[in-house]
Amino acid sequence: MNPDVLMENKNPYIPVKCRIVEWKRESPDNFTITLDLRLKHEPGQFVQVSIPGIGECPISICSYSEEHLKLNIREVGNMTSAMAKLRKGDSLFVRGPYGNGYKMGQFRNNNLIIIGGGCGVAPLKGVIEYVERHRDDYKDVHLFLGYRSPDNILFKEELAEWRKKYHLTVTIDENVHGEFCYNAKTGFITDALKNSSIDNGNKVVFICGPPIMMNYVIQVLKEKGFNDDQIFISAERLMYCAFGACCHCMIRGKFTCIDGPVFRYDEVKEYEND
Amino acid sequence: MSEKKLSVGFYGITGCAGCLLSFIFNEDELLDLVKLVDLKAFPFVKEVNPSDHFDYVFVEGLVASNEDLKVLKELRENSKFLVSLGACASTGCVPAYRHYTLKENYEHLLYKKIEALEDVSPTPLDMHVKVDYYIPGCPPSKEEIKAFIKKIVRGLQPKPNDNPVCVECRRNGNECLLEKGKPCLGPITVGGCNSVCINGGFECWGCRGPTTDMNLDLMVQILRSKGFEDKFIQDRLTTFAGLKLPMLEKIMKK
Amino acid sequence: METLLLKKKDFESFTSELIGWCEVISPVKKEVVRFKKIKNPSDIYLGKNSFFPVKEFFFRKKETIFKFKSNKISIPKLESPKRVFFGLRKCDLNAISHQDKVFMETIKDPYYTAQRKNAYLIGYHCNEAPSKYCFCESLRLNDFFDLMLYDRHKDFFLVEIGSEKGKTIAKRFRKYMKKTDSKVSLEEKKIIGADRLLDSNIKGLYDNHGWQEGVDKCLSCTACTALCPTCYCFDLKDEVKARNLGEGERVRNWSSCQLKEFTKVAGNHVFREKREERFKHRIYHQLDYFRERYDVDLCTGCGRCIEGCPTRIDFIEIINKMKQGKAKK
Repeated sequence: MNPDVLMENKNPYIPVKCRIVEWKRESPDNFTITLDLRLKHEPGQFVQVSIPGIGECPISICSYSEEHLKLNIREVGNMTSAMAKLRKGDSLFVRGPYGNGYKMGQFRNNNLIIIGGGCGVAPLKGVIEYVERHRDDYKDVHLFLGYRSPDNILFKEELAEWRKKYHLTVTIDENVHGEFCYNAKTGFITDALKNSSIDNGNKVVFICGPPIMMNYVIQVLKEKGFNDDQIFISAERLMYCAFGACCHCMIRGKFTCIDGPVFRYDEVKEYEND
Repeated sequence: MSEKKLSVGFYGITGCAGCLLSFIFNEDELLDLVKLVDLKAFPFVKEVNPSDHFDYVFVEGLVASNEDLKVLKELRENSKFLVSLGACASTGCVPAYRHYTLKENYEHLLYKKIEALEDVSPTPLDMHVKVDYYIPGCPPSKEEIKAFIKKIVRGLQPKPNDNPVCVECRRNGNECLLEKGKPCLGPITVGGCNSVCINGGFECWGCRGPTTDMNLDLMVQILRSKGFEDKFIQDRLTTFAGLKLPMLEKIMKK
Repeated sequence: METLLLKKKDFESFTSELIGWCEVISPVKKEVVRFKKIKNPSDIYLGKNSFFPVKEFFFRKKETIFKFKSNKISIPKLESPKRVFFGLRKCDLNAISHQDKVFMETIKDPYYTAQRKNAYLIGYHCNEAPSKYCFCESLRLNDFFDLMLYDRHKDFFLVEIGSEKGKTIAKRFRKYMKKTDSKVSLEEKKIIGADRLLDSNIKGLYDNHGWQEGVDKCLSCTACTALCPTCYCFDLKDEVKARNLGEGERVRNWSSCQLKEFTKVAGNHVFREKREERFKHRIYHQLDYFRERYDVDLCTGCGRCIEGCPTRIDFIEIINKMKQGKAKK
């Protein structure tokens, strides 16, 4: 499918049909779908995914490729559970891309700190793939990825690659089995961050994860001297239209779907929980 | 759909069978709906033992006797999901109004010849067993029953409605009956009924039970300001869902 | 602006011919005043503004977005007949222009556009506030109409032409509307008694305790958002047929920010759980947030959200009190 085909669509509500070329389980409640869709987008943007009859929901893009589109999905509601039942060859309806992602061009020559919790790692994977293709534009890349348990670790294959190329720290909140897993440290991501030697010099931070995790991470970053405008967070809200009309995703006057989902922390810090 | 159909049963304990009629009133789509499931039990049509296994069991009526309780517990034990169908099952409805009146006032009217009344105090299902889903209302909306079945047969979770009746009522362009001085409970009552009573000029009596977001304090204040006496307000609020308003007594004392 | 003169003795013939030309929708007095398709000029009621807003004719309560069958999507035919909306007040006309900004300028919504395209808007200008809750003069409303009737004289209306569509009607009914040199002065466009909001800038009041007075009287019943001529939020929902679960339609329905459901995400977390947050969200969207994006207040001061509120929460009074530092602690 042509890269710009979705943008040409005159009726903004109408999704296009695409095909699942790969369906892969990542963890007991998480899977990745690869679609035969070539779409121009920036890391951190999302698409609206439909199954006619069941509904529609926003899913962040977890890849950066001209060949296909990957979506990482956690099973939490009706739509995502229905998507879990699809397989290779099935069709899925998509419209987008939407939202304000990571403006990677603005961060050239910076060191990047990428902090993800659980399925919040998904949009950040898009950032990592972008960096991979523009490696010379960025300096040091630190990845801090936190998961609940060894079972919940996502993108296991990619982790090995990332470890070779970047400064990678993986944490798991609890490791009851004590099993070996991807050199993960047991403990919270905030502790790993505290104990690391990162400072705020010439760096930008991307955080994506559950609200509570983002709050604690920001606290640690502040202690380490980071400024609000160095930090970029990703917000999640209920959404129907994704183009700034239905109003469900408003955070005070901001629309998560068009002003976000990526916000510079100082733009929303006073009311991120609204 | 090649997967095995869900086994579904409908049961009535103490009630008027009106809720079962609501299902049947889906005339146009009734036969299609029935085809979607493996309907194993339906009063008057196909009665089977409550000890049969069900994926979903819809129970109408409330617990008012030891026999009711026995059947209900059996159904609970033998079904994956128990759905409370209608106001009696969900909130207690009019039969549970007995909690707000003295037994001596009515007992002699009906039971003159009976020496001792041995029964269970009339109570909704969730006071005895775990209820997974509620389809409230007296009678429940046929549209809601239909939508519920269409959801479960596709493995989807039905979502409870928690919006007040006013949402649909305003959309329907009705004149506000509260404004006209009628004791309408729409603002605190769960919608999904398409404001059917108000469309017909009757105020909402709250048969679908309270929303989790209700402002009961304010509702009582409004009714008082319209000139209704406390006795009337309390009666009206407890008619359909008194047992779901344990805080009412305290509010009325304010 | 080009001005015409319509004699009052010709009003009935004019409107009668208008009804013959196309569908005419105007305020009609039933139990309450509401917009309805009319058959006779005598149905037109101009004594008071309609209790229900006109938005439902454009941003419809329920709209089929698309139909689907076996994974094939089809869009319904989008068209509407030629319609004249007669007797719209300045607030309602501006409200249409604000919804136009959202649905036609920003997103090019084909459903809204289809309803708006063949609509002719003929206004009836208020001399004084038709309701004690009006406050349009406190907001910066514009001249937005195809034709506007000014009822300032005993024997005739002055009619302003505000658009090409207006010209079309004026031309078609030129035997009733004659050119005149008279102009409607700015003074004559003032609506008396509709300037009770002292200051529409509510930035800085968000954390003021003065809102509590309104929150305490709020049932979250959504009367305000349903009666508002500008509120435009919606849900999308799929409905399927029992006969074929793969066949059905995606529908768009009105929604309301006053409901907890409005911000509930999968996993049941509600972002605006507190009634106070929801209460303020509507007012801030109307008087603050919308302006950030569209450079105009969303609210047009019609006062319906107060008049139709079961407890008459007068947020204008509440804002005034806060502005004057008189809010109760």
